[in-house]
Amino acid sequence: MADFRLTADDAGQPAGLIARAKLGDLDAFDQIMRLHQKQVLMTALRLLGNMEDAQDAAQETFLRLYNSLNRLPDVLEMKSWLYRVTVNICNDVHRQRGRRKTEPLTGPEPVSSHPDPEKAWSEVERGQLVEMALKTLPEKERAAVVLRDVQGLSTREVAEILGSSEVTVRSQISVARGKLKKFTDRYLRKHDI
Amino acid sequence: MNCSDWEQEIAGESESVALEEHLRACGHCREFADELERNRAALQAVAIHPAAFDAVRLRVLDEIRAKKQRGAWWAWSAVAAAACVAVLCASIALQNWKKPAPPKPLVAAKDPVVMVSSIAPVQPVVKAHHRPIHKFGPVSASAGPAHNPEPLVVKMLTNDPNVIIIWLVDQKGDSL
Repeated sequence: MADFRLTADDAGQPAGLIARAKLGDLDAFDQIMRLHQKQVLMTALRLLGNMEDAQDAAQETFLRLYNSLNRLPDVLEMKSWLYRVTVNICNDVHRQRGRRKTEPLTGPEPVSSHPDPEKAWSEVERGQLVEMALKTLPEKERAAVVLRDVQGLSTREVAEILGSSEVTVRSQISVARGKLKKFTDRYLRKHDI
Repeated sequence: MNCSDWEQEIAGESESVALEEHLRACGHCREFADELERNRAALQAVAIHPAAFDAVRLRVLDEIRAKKQRGAWWAWSAVAAAACVAVLCASIALQNWKKPAPPKPLVAAKDPVVMVSSIAPVQPVVKAHHRPIHKFGPVSASAGPAHNPEPLVVKMLTNDPNVIIIWLVDQKGDSL
């Protein structure tokens, strides 16, 4: 049993909230959404790369949760269920858009006026660059690295959510990190940073 | 192992002692590990405005409420449609109940066809009690059917082909 599942302590008695939500109590369901909104929206944002699509995906995820409240086998599995559905919805969005081509190396403009380019390259700009690099990854690698590096899940948890083996996930994460590094290196070399 | 192999170990989160020793000794691989860590930190450092969360929740709740209203509308529509059908059926049944039973259709009976034909070979019926009994003399051979004419047969046909009324009469008009 994975240790990242929702527990009564970290979710404020979710069983009671879920029972009320099942009876149609929208305030209770709103509380459930508040407990998981950061997890869902941040995952969607990293997987899709823009807030508008991420909000649409998060909305769809929570609507599916509402419609599945009576079918969830275990209230403690809600967190992993939400991750799984969020990833699936984001993958659907990607497929609807069509396979993405490698983003051109435009990226954020480097701050050339700063005397120390290393310092000038702020974490915000690195974040934008890494976000662009994420878009170039295949969906399985992207999902694996987002769940592992953004959400901080263990390899075993990621494997359980994605329905893969730990070996496969570890390989996907390794390859994805290498690709992200190459992408940022190419950008930094191009701009002499 | 060269640095490329070690990089794979680093990216794959190997926790081997050999890797730790290599990282202490190799600046290139240490830089590689630091770069991965910076990328990871950049991925995690995403600031989402609280309004974005609120917007998602509001949209979800609005959608659920709208769905409930649509569901209620359909439920009431179904009830209303069922009620209309019930009223319609009841009114039809009531109308049929009040209306007198329709008269049975009259079938015009045709007059029976009467055919009169003669039957030649009919054996005359001799009624013993009508004939004089000659107790004391021989019965004349001529005394017999000489005075008994051919009877007429009146045949009446009805509409039913299986029913034929045959009426036998003699010349006097007496029924035989």
